[in-house]
Parts: sequence; C-alpha cells; structure tokens
Amino acid sequence: MTPTTTETLRSRAGGLKLWLERYPFLPALIIVVALLALNGAFSPNSLSYRSLTGLLSTYMALIMLAIAQTYVVSAGDIDLSAGATLSLVNVAIVVLMEKWGGGAGAVVGAMLSGILLGLICGVINGIVVATLRLQAIVATFATSIFFTGIALYVMPVAGTPAPALFWRTYGGRLLGLPFVFYVLAALALLLFLLSRTRLVTQLLAVGDDQQAAYQTGLPVVLVRVKGYALCGLFSALAAFCLTGDTASGDPLVGGKMTLYSVAAVVLGGSALAGGWTTVVGSLLGALTIGLVNSLVFFMGTPSEWQNFVQGLAILLVLMAGVLAGRRARA
Amino acid sequence: MSKLKMNGVSKAYGATLALRRGDLEIAAGEVHVLMGSNGSGKSTLCKIIAGSVRPDGGEILIDGRTATITGPQSARAQGIGIFYQELSLAGHRSVEENICLAMLPVRAGMFIDRAALKARAARYIDLFAGVSGDGFAAETLVGNLRADQRQLVEIMKALASEAPILIFDEPTSALDRAQVDRFFDILRGLKSDGRGIIFISHRMDEITAIGDRVTIIRDGETIKTLNLNETDPGAVIRLMVGGAGDMPASRSSAPAVASFSTGAAMTVDKLSGAGFRNVSFEVAKGEILGLGGLHGQGQSAVLRAIFGAGAITSGGIRIGGDHFDAKSPRDAIRRGCAYVSGDRGRDGVIAGRPIIENVTPIHYLRDRLMIAHPSSLREKAMPALAAMHTKFASLLHPINSLSGGNQQKVIIARWLIDRPDVLLLDDPTKGIDLSAKADLFALIRQLAADGLGILLYSSEDAELLGNANRILVFNGGSVTRELIGEDRTRYNLYQAAYEAA
Repeated sequence: MTPTTTETLRSRAGGLKLWLERYPFLPALIIVVALLALNGAFSPNSLSYRSLTGLLSTYMALIMLAIAQTYVVSAGDIDLSAGATLSLVNVAIVVLMEKWGGGAGAVVGAMLSGILLGLICGVINGIVVATLRLQAIVATFATSIFFTGIALYVMPVAGTPAPALFWRTYGGRLLGLPFVFYVLAALALLLFLLSRTRLVTQLLAVGDDQQAAYQTGLPVVLVRVKGYALCGLFSALAAFCLTGDTASGDPLVGGKMTLYSVAAVVLGGSALAGGWTTVVGSLLGALTIGLVNSLVFFMGTPSEWQNFVQGLAILLVLMAGVLAGRRARA
Repeated sequence: MSKLKMNGVSKAYGATLALRRGDLEIAAGEVHVLMGSNGSGKSTLCKIIAGSVRPDGGEILIDGRTATITGPQSARAQGIGIFYQELSLAGHRSVEENICLAMLPVRAGMFIDRAALKARAARYIDLFAGVSGDGFAAETLVGNLRADQRQLVEIMKALASEAPILIFDEPTSALDRAQVDRFFDILRGLKSDGRGIIFISHRMDEITAIGDRVTIIRDGETIKTLNLNETDPGAVIRLMVGGAGDMPASRSSAPAVASFSTGAAMTVDKLSGAGFRNVSFEVAKGEILGLGGLHGQGQSAVLRAIFGAGAITSGGIRIGGDHFDAKSPRDAIRRGCAYVSGDRGRDGVIAGRPIIENVTPIHYLRDRLMIAHPSSLREKAMPALAAMHTKFASLLHPINSLSGGNQQKVIIARWLIDRPDVLLLDDPTKGIDLSAKADLFALIRQLAADGLGILLYSSEDAELLGNANRILVFNGGSVTRELIGEDRTRYNLYQAAYEAA
C-alpha cells in the first residue's frame, strides 16, 4: 500500500508543479483574493463596484509600468528609468495638449507623440545597455536622471492641468461601463497578442541564458533593445493612465513608482534573473501593492505608521509568495 | 570538392594559444572525427567554424569559396549547424521551442506560427521516438529533463538547422547505448544525403563505428588526418600522445616521498554522490595521489564532495583515524582539510581585496580569530607567501593587481599558515604560466615530504605523470584503473581514459 500512496502524493505534487509552470501567477492570484477578502473584512464598503473601479483607475498606471518592467526583466535586464520615462511622457503630453488647444485632435496628437517619446526613451536605454554593454542597473539609473532632467525642463513645477476632455474620458463611463474597464480589456488583448510574438519568446530565451541564445544564432543585442523599446512603450501607456487619474502634469511623479514596478514583477511570480516571467502576474502584483495600501488605510493605521505597515505587509506577501512557489516546485 | 576547408586557422586568448594551427578538410558525405586530449583545441576549432569564436588568422572555405563568418547567425546562414558540448538550451522554454529557436516560424511577420513550430519540431522529436525516455514530450520544459534528454534536445536542435555542414562536439557523453545507436543511424542517413559531419567523441568504439576519417589535434595543432579503416586505435592514441608516448614517466620526476609506513592520511570507502559512484581509495601520509582521466568524469565532484561542497549519498571518509563527514567547507577546513580549485575566480579569490586579506581567511577560521593585529598577521602571512615565491608589491595591494599565477600562489599560501592534514587540488594550475607551475609543484612535493596526504586532479596529463605516486583513472564517475610505478605512462593513461565506459 505504501508505494502507491507515495506515488499518488508525488503525482499530486507534480501536478501542482505543472500547474505552476503553466500559470506561474497562481500564488499572486491567491494573494490578491486574500487581500480583497481582508479589505472587505475591515471595510465592506471597499469591495463595492465603485471603490473597486476607483482602485483600478488609480493603480492602472502602476499595472502598466509593472508590465513594462516585465518585458525587460524577461531578457534578464532591468529598467530603473521606467518611472522617469513615465514622468517625461506625462509632462510632455500635458504641455502638448495645452499648446494644441485641448481638443480631441490635440489629445490624439499628444498621445501619439507620447508613445513615440516612450519608444525613444526605451531605445536609448537599449542602446546604452545592450549595444554599449553597460551595467543595466547603473546605466538605466543614469538615464533616469537624464530623463527627469528633460522632464523638469519641459515643466519646471508640477501642476499644469490636463484638458478636461482627457481626464473626464478616463474617469468617466462609456456605454454604461467605466472607461478603465475598456482600458483593461484593451490591455488584455494587447498582452495576449504580444505573448504570441516571436519577440517575447526570444526575450525569454535571452534571459534564460544569454550565451546560449547567442550561440543559437539569436540577434541578442537587437532582441534586448526591442525589449527596452517595449518597456518604453508601456511606460508611455502608464503615463496616459496616470495623467487620466491625476489630471495634471508632474515632472517627478514617476520617480518612486520605478521600484514599485520592480516589486510588482517579483510579487507576480517572475524571476528577476530573467527567462521566466508572467505579465498577468505583474498585473496582479501591482494590484497587490494597491490592495496593501488600501488595506493599511482601511485598518485605520495612524498616518505616521502607514509606511511602516505598508513595508511590512509587502514583505509578508513576498515571503508568502516565495514560500508557496518554492514548496510547489520542490 | 570539399564541403569545408580550413587553412592555418589560429586563436589566442591573451597569452594562451588555444589553437596554434588548424588545417581541416571535410568532404561531402563523410563523418570526420576530431581527436585530441583535454584542451588540445578541438572545441575552439568547432566554435570558430560555428562563428561563436572569432579566429585571429587563417582562412575558411565553404564549397571552395572563401567564407567570412562574423557570428553564429552568419555561420547558420552559410549552412553550418552545431551541437555545443556545453549545450545551448533555454531551460525555461519547451523542447519544441528550443528545437526551433534559431528560426522560429512566424505568421504576419511577428506572431509565432504554433502549428508550423509543432510540426517542424515533431519531425526531429520523432527521430528519437522510443529511446528518448520517460517524461520526454514536445511541451516539456527543458529544465525538467534529465541530462541525457537535454543532450538529445541539443542534437535535435542541431539537426533542425538542416545545415549541409554539421558539427557534433561530444554529443554522446551522457547518452545510453540505445540512444547512441539511434543517433548513429540518423548520422548514417545524413551521410548518404551528402552532408559533411564533424564528430568529436572520447569513446574509441564510437569513433570506429561511425567515423570515416580522423584528424588528430595535439597542443593546438592539427597533426595528421588518417582513414579510420586503415588504422588501429593504438596508432591513433600514439599520435595524440606524441613521440614520448611509450616512455614511462621519467624517474627523476618521481616525487620525493616520505616513507608510507606512517599510515593513511585519508581513506575513502565506497563513496557515491552527484557525478561519481563507488569510489574507494587511500592516501598515505606523504603521498601524492593523482586523479586522471578525461575532463568531467567525476574527479572534481569527488574532491568537492570530500570538502563538503557537494552531496554525498553513501560511503564513508576517514582522515587519520577519525570519521570525517564535513557538512560544509567551513566544517572541512576546521577539521584539517584544504581545497584549492583551478577556478580561482569562483572558488578562491576575494576579488578587489588586499593580498593580506586573501592570505588570511583560513587562519581566521581555524584560529577562531575575532580581532587581529595587522603586524602579527603580516608575520604569519609573509613566510607563507615567501614559500611560494610570490611576487607582489605590498600586502595591501588588491589581489587583482597580480597575474593569474601569482593569484593562485596567494590562494595556496592561505593554507600554509595552519597546516592541513589533507590537501585537495582540483586542477590547480588551470590558466597559469610555466614558471608558476614549477614553483607550485615544487611546493606540493615539499608538502608531501612533510607528511601531508595530497589528492591531485589535473587536466594536464604531464603534471599527473610527473608528480603523482599513483594515478586513479576516472571514467564515467568511477575509478576504472589504477596506474602504479612503471605503468604510469602516457599511453596507459590515455588508453584507460578513452576506453568505452
């Protein structure tokens, strides 16, 4: 009898491992559900349709930024300038929309310019890191200062408002549904399409083992530059969401979001070393951070202790996720 | 006309010549075997053809036309496919993705055509149907496969290049009999298609089974090309060894040995673990016991396991009379075991720190030193460094300012302050110059004469033959032969190493 028991145990553990391999974001999903439940326990109102929509529109920018980060992490790189890129695009589109009159044409024109700007920032990072072979952490830290410098030149002080058309659309409703739901649906479609591209597989292969990828004949440098370009693109999208949420330009707004985006990637179940990432996990990771923040608020933590509790909670969530993953893989 | 021709191709890494002169000609429809000992330049030669190493000189002709190979991508485009000895797989990608990774089939210019990818990969997976083992499927992640299965994936990946010139650098080292047979059937098929195949293996029986011609490489130089059906294994080994092959290790180089009567320094009994099994031996005090054989046959694994840095599944070790089972290197050091690795960067050097800090860590550990006075440390460090003839400007210079040989001397010196009972040397002379080697071996003999038991693994056979009292030849993770006294010849060493496992 004993052998059969161990056999089934092993196959069950193997089954869990298989599930985790196919859906590496499962632990993150469980944590999000648990945090939702906790939020509900402390304040039932926080689970209302209205507050969940609010949560989503506030944290959509971080979700986008975490996804941006995921693509560079896939290739074993990192981008510490993602937040600065976000800031730069934020101030640039606000200034452009104001300059061009704030109409529908101005909004679309500014957004296209913003996407182009994000791509340029990404390509600059890619060239610095992959072509010039500088250390990703330090090089993108340097470009982040550089991008912030340009953002401060474009808008020296925070506060220029975005046109009403822009933020009313983002915060409003379309055909009876909140606009962020459409953003989320569009994002889901975009992520699905991207997951099917050759580029994403190549990014992951490079992140797995760069030397092996090179020896296989992959254009490693080009692939890494494209990864950074993708990161720039999503940083620009993050800037749109942020502008929609805050309705104004701020040259320093993205600075502290960078490390939150890295944290979200890890919380989501991706390996920071590269080769093993999940964009859905990063989305959930960003939501986790949002939910922790709202939980700290709803628990009635005194304001001077909020940072302390926030940090502690993120550490706990990280530990829970890592332990779950390790046990399932063992 | 030859498919591939190399004329005088050379490659140097810094001062080391990896390939002095490579001349090679591959005809269509032949399996051309490359043979040579560890570090003779076979892999470098292959990597030059495959574009992952750029040659310093010489020319390469493909189908009679001069070819410029700028990288792996360009080599592929010019019809060269390769199996890398160290494999080139992405562990988190599936088997089928790995097989097609170099040329992922796409639709609309960017989306992976899953159906086409599956179909293409299935062609190569089916070639090994029945022998690829349990748990091998197109969707399995490569990281979850066994070593032999990973090797099969790398073979499939090389085959999927459909290149007219195929290079297989030790493709069979982890495969079992049935897998090798299937692979050879495939190779015969490719031969009849008129492909040119370069094949490297260390198993003589495989070479005679599949090879048409053989080119022997010795010390970075292609020596001679022979037809395999007109020659015998003995002749090939003699060519690999060079003129001095039949001579026993010269008597003058035999180590100065203290009397063995003082007893065993270390006894290893039926030791098994990751990468080795059932290894037993005894090292007497004052003896240098050599571990020989091809690279990666378990020699390093045994040494690391004894030192507590690798897993032991069964068996026992005794140092002196005491039972010895170090759980960590820290434990092993405290109990009088020393280990010097050839991989200084990974296992030895504390990069960027002063020489004195690099000489004293073992002393800290063994004396449980908490606070040390620099001048008293200096007194302990200087004689140890002097014993090694180490050249350095001052004890406070960073270790990186030294040459590789002098760095290794510093690493060895750290074990001389508090004498260990057993010294494990894991290819200690890798990448260091000749005079440093001479100093090093003079010291090792001195240590043996002082009564230490020394285990020496070296990838250079001359070092083993010149310094070891006995040589255990490793093959496939266990000791297959012991060479004592007059038997310690290059020829015997090679023959034992190249025997079919």
